[in-house]
Amino acid sequence: MASHALGWLALLCYLGAELLAIATLIAPRPAWPRLTTLAIAAGLVLQFANLMNRAHVLGSVPYRTLGGSVSLFAWMLGIAYLVLLVRHRARAMGAFLIPIIVVATLAGLLLPESAATASTASVAAQGTHGSVFALHVTLAILAYAAFTFSFVLSILYLIQDRQIRRHRTGLLFARLPALEVIGRMNRSSVTIGLAALVVSLVLGAFWAEVVWSSLADPKVEWAVITLVVYGFLLWMDRRGWEGPRVAVLSILGFGVVLFSYTIVNLYFSRAHSFR
Amino acid sequence: MSAATATTEARLLLLGWNFRSGAGSVRDRIAFSGDDVREALERIRGRGLMSEGVIVATCHRSEIYGVAEGSGTDRELTRMISEWRGVDFDEAAQSSFSLEGPEAVRHLFRVAAGLDSMALGESEVLGQIRSALRLARETGTTRAVLHRLFESAVAAGKRARTETEIARHPLSVASIGFELATKVFGEIAEQTVLVLGAGETGTLFAQQAAEAGVRDIRIANRSPERAAALAAKIGGVPVAWGALPGALPEADLVVGATGSPTAVVGRDAVERAMRQRRGKPMFFLDLAVPRNVDPSVSEIYNVYAYGMDELEGVAEENRRRRQREVPRVEAILEEEHSRFLTWYGNLAVVPTLNDLQRRLAELRDAELARLPEGERERFREFADAIAAKLLHQPLRRLKSEPDASRRLDRVEAVRHLFDLDQ
Repeated sequence: MASHALGWLALLCYLGAELLAIATLIAPRPAWPRLTTLAIAAGLVLQFANLMNRAHVLGSVPYRTLGGSVSLFAWMLGIAYLVLLVRHRARAMGAFLIPIIVVATLAGLLLPESAATASTASVAAQGTHGSVFALHVTLAILAYAAFTFSFVLSILYLIQDRQIRRHRTGLLFARLPALEVIGRMNRSSVTIGLAALVVSLVLGAFWAEVVWSSLADPKVEWAVITLVVYGFLLWMDRRGWEGPRVAVLSILGFGVVLFSYTIVNLYFSRAHSFR
Repeated sequence: MSAATATTEARLLLLGWNFRSGAGSVRDRIAFSGDDVREALERIRGRGLMSEGVIVATCHRSEIYGVAEGSGTDRELTRMISEWRGVDFDEAAQSSFSLEGPEAVRHLFRVAAGLDSMALGESEVLGQIRSALRLARETGTTRAVLHRLFESAVAAGKRARTETEIARHPLSVASIGFELATKVFGEIAEQTVLVLGAGETGTLFAQQAAEAGVRDIRIANRSPERAAALAAKIGGVPVAWGALPGALPEADLVVGATGSPTAVVGRDAVERAMRQRRGKPMFFLDLAVPRNVDPSVSEIYNVYAYGMDELEGVAEENRRRRQREVPRVEAILEEEHSRFLTWYGNLAVVPTLNDLQRRLAELRDAELARLPEGERERFREFADAIAAKLLHQPLRRLKSEPDASRRLDRVEAVRHLFDLDQ
């Protein structure tokens, strides 16, 4: 059992960042956005140390366990958030996006550590240590993190669209960025997610060819469905569906992601699950 | 101490005519323009009515702030102004208001924060207060007190606007339209704005758009000459009325401001435009009554449309939002008010003498502490004797200065030189 003191400290950093982000929404002070970013960065460093510690204790990659896998997911969310922040400078989004990082980090700390099933053990035996496999899993988790952000951004888009259409110019209207900005961030998220998923699938296929000599697996099928949904989304975004329709499509896409991350992962896929 | 009490105390006072105080006709005849302000200040100084004076002149107010001695100054001031402006004295007196001391200070702070403006929280008045101080300084009618008072007022006004939302929610329909459009497009300066109608509303909006940094402004008007004239004035591009259907797809923000009795932009035209735009959002701001744009265009995907009713509804809501901020603004003003009054109160001779003596005692004790225990008592007497001799003449002069305003200046100088406001 790995000690998670660093993980809990990271959680505290994220919580602090969220409190600062909320305070910024209510009564902005010039120094707060920078402090928020610093707190996120500190949390990322601590969480990375925690992941390394997990790996060390397991003598393997940290995502051999469900807790480790979710922790890595939380860490990827943090990275994706910083990328969006640097790319779009929309600090106002922090209060809405950081809670997902907080929840994922907490889940990563509370979910079981053991439960290395026969299937994962066999996967490990067949070469979990391979860097191709590690990259495959890491990129898949990055893709899920990016799609999660796209989901939240889409909800925020629909909320802001509603505020504008009903001319409700209150606090939420004032604090949420322009539709154009949320839409642009959403596009970035989906693009990152798609790119990560494609590379992850290619690496996974390569690895599976070597180890399993077969690609037939429910999880792969669902990943391809995910790919199609988000690919269609990006394509329609350029063909007149930019705006609310793309947001709705992204929310549907996230339904597919959730389904393959939970139901398919736990019940359908045998050789391919990690828990 | 007898010399100090023999002189009369200088008082802060305010005499004003504003939109609350009385008849607009009197106010309009008294109202000062920029040059009038200079002349008024010189007249006031020439008459020796006040030792300091600043005039705040805006569209709806003419307020004279001053430092004067004795009583009846406001009456003499009213007489002088009424004679100069050719207004009956009684009329001028009736429609005026006057305040003194802390109340005058409080009024100026409220004016600076926009609490006394017709449009609650408006920011223009802050610039007007700044220029009032500048004019008075150029004319040589400000000294320590009014200078400090007006700088405090500007600081209070700034705090009110940054620490509360008194100035955050726009009140004019054009600004509200801009705010809504900004929440759709992000940077409004990057968008193409098409203004329909080169009349008064169209001109005002086009100017506002140009001031907001919009680079691509197009003007369409039934008579091409007026479109061309307005376009030239604001650096935009005129569009022939007949070419409107072709111009529509290129426009992100369309402003309706023609006097047309029927809609000039129909649903079909907007649907065609949206197909050409591949769904890129379009924003209609209809400032015309009756509407220039068919209101059903807002049902088209990614089209946003607002008419005067909706915009005025938002304006009303924003007025209420600003109103809710008033208590917080007043709390800030009270803080600044008491800070100013503390400074002002210290300008009296006695507290300054006390502060000065305290400061010298501190210096003396600090030096004595470096001596051996046994010698301190002897040196204390010596130090006190030197301090008393050194200060005797300056303090006597300070106390006996007959001109109250000059005395204030000197007290302020002493406080500054000996760093007594720390």
